[in-house]
Amino acid sequence: MSTLINDLALGLSVAASVGGLLYCFLGVFLGTVVGVLPGIGIMATLAMLMPITYHIDPNYALIMLGGIYYGASYGGSTASILMNLPGTATSAVTGLDGYPMAQQGRAGQALFMTAIASFVGSIFGVLLLVTLSVPLSRVALKFGPQEYVALMALGLIAASVIGSGRTVRSLASVSLGLALGLIGLDLNSGVARFTFGQTVLFDGLPLVAVAIGLFGLPEIIANAGRTDTPKVNQDKIRLRDMLPTRTDWRRSGMPMVRGSGIGAFFGALPGTGGLVATFVSYAVEARCSRHPEEFGKGAIEGVVAPEAANNAAVQAAFIPTLSLGIPGDPVMAIMLGVMMVHGILPGPDVIQTSPDLFWGLIVSFVIGNLMLLVLNLPLVGLWVRMLRIPYTLLFPVIVALTCIGIYSVNYQVTDVFVLLAFGFLGLGMKALRFDVAPLLLGFVLGPMIEEYFRRALIVSGGDMMSFLDRPIAGTITVITGALLAWALIRAGWKQFGPRRREVQDA
Amino acid sequence: MRYVIDRLEDYIAGLVTGVIGAFIITEGLTYRMGSLHSMGPGYFPVILGAIMVVLALFMVISAKPAEIAVARPEGGQLRGMAFLAAAFAGFALTVESLGMLVSVTLAVFLASLANRQTTLVTALILAVGTAVVSALVFRVGLGLQIKAF
Repeated sequence: MSTLINDLALGLSVAASVGGLLYCFLGVFLGTVVGVLPGIGIMATLAMLMPITYHIDPNYALIMLGGIYYGASYGGSTASILMNLPGTATSAVTGLDGYPMAQQGRAGQALFMTAIASFVGSIFGVLLLVTLSVPLSRVALKFGPQEYVALMALGLIAASVIGSGRTVRSLASVSLGLALGLIGLDLNSGVARFTFGQTVLFDGLPLVAVAIGLFGLPEIIANAGRTDTPKVNQDKIRLRDMLPTRTDWRRSGMPMVRGSGIGAFFGALPGTGGLVATFVSYAVEARCSRHPEEFGKGAIEGVVAPEAANNAAVQAAFIPTLSLGIPGDPVMAIMLGVMMVHGILPGPDVIQTSPDLFWGLIVSFVIGNLMLLVLNLPLVGLWVRMLRIPYTLLFPVIVALTCIGIYSVNYQVTDVFVLLAFGFLGLGMKALRFDVAPLLLGFVLGPMIEEYFRRALIVSGGDMMSFLDRPIAGTITVITGALLAWALIRAGWKQFGPRRREVQDA
Repeated sequence: MRYVIDRLEDYIAGLVTGVIGAFIITEGLTYRMGSLHSMGPGYFPVILGAIMVVLALFMVISAKPAEIAVARPEGGQLRGMAFLAAAFAGFALTVESLGMLVSVTLAVFLASLANRQTTLVTALILAVGTAVVSALVFRVGLGLQIKAF
């Protein structure tokens, strides 16, 4: 117990320092801004802020990047409720009941309750992070290469199977990502693979440029041609009008708890994250509710549960990232990239070797969430006004800042072209309905999984059974195999089985 | 023929995946394969390529009529794509020779034109303004190693 207090005190000394508070505020503030504004995603924001992260202490850099990530999940619901235009993908579900509430003149209450639900969900996620990360990293320190391969394979397959896309295509995305991750010099033999004589490729493709290209560019292109400015409700929202009624509070309690639990579960699984969590929690609420007929017409449960789930998922996503060094989603991959630039090798020993970083980040989550509560409750009017900035003037500036950000990582012009190339790859994949998130996870994990795979087979003398013999690796492999079999059978059933009702494509 | 057209999306997806997989295999085979207990640089890529080919076959065999027509980009999107690509390329081609002021101006100007409602004057003002501010922030403020002009 006393060690926990010591650890938290250490964290507090980092997070509550002037720099810690400043960058935390900057992060959550920018996060809220990009969350509120539809058409600017977290990835593009991270790209724009890359130059700053190289100039500051890695603790502060991660506090800031983390702040953007969970800040955006608060802000996303604002546009969703007021205009039925989700600011981030994960807040789409919030609009199902949030927008009808706004039409009934209850926008204030909806916004108030989403802020509270976001806070509850986040704190739940942080508590889980504190309780699980340290024991998990202790177990992981005993892992051999077999366990790592099994764990990463589970992460990749879970990301393809549970994610939003079609299973077979997502598995193809993962494979392509893994292969793209191999580009560059092979560490064991020194052979340059897939470089086609280009020396710039010897270090591999730049992670940030690949990630921004895949996620940021299609986002900008999709919105750049937009000519209509979204209508914002002109009503002033005052704090006095925002106070929820006693019924609202009573009806929100349990949904928030359930949402937090569902969100934390999906968030901690690598590759699934907030989007799935919001859908599941909404479906669960609609089923448990005593008035299911109100869903879709402004039921408060339908607003708070997904919001709590979304935020719990965001915080829980840090569990595999910080305790195992395995990123669960693209944003986490970027955070690991920033750690590596600062010479911190992600993995289970980060908590021991850089306790100031780990505990500083954890305490900053609590501080940041308190800041967000202030930013989102009394200041909500400010964000509503910000929604009136025309996107046509905003996105060219984003393009320029992205260019500067990407270029400043390595001062390599080719990085900008890599970004462009992956932007078009992202567009192409979207057109053929391939999910891009699995590709990025594969790309990040590619070199690691190959390295551990080779090492595992050297240690065991080429015995593939070693993935099943060892108790932990075996358990994980069996789970992975079951997941894969279930998904393939389900996919096959959908294709070849009797044609039932029209299959809904998400 | 109609059978093929209905399933075109799945066939294209399968074909693309298969071609990429086959390419990875052929390229991977040029590296030393090694054996299972001591893998060479070619082993892992070949496994990946093979997985992709198998997945591609699965996509083709299990192809079924698309429920929604393949989304074709509309005129506005193509215009946006062209101008945004030009903006990024413009930045990349000028930043080292002409410096940040010129390259940012060029990038913002080209990007603004991706939206057909933005006038040339607006685009120019926005471009110059962004260039000056970003030069001040990144060159003077943060001291990035990019020359201003």
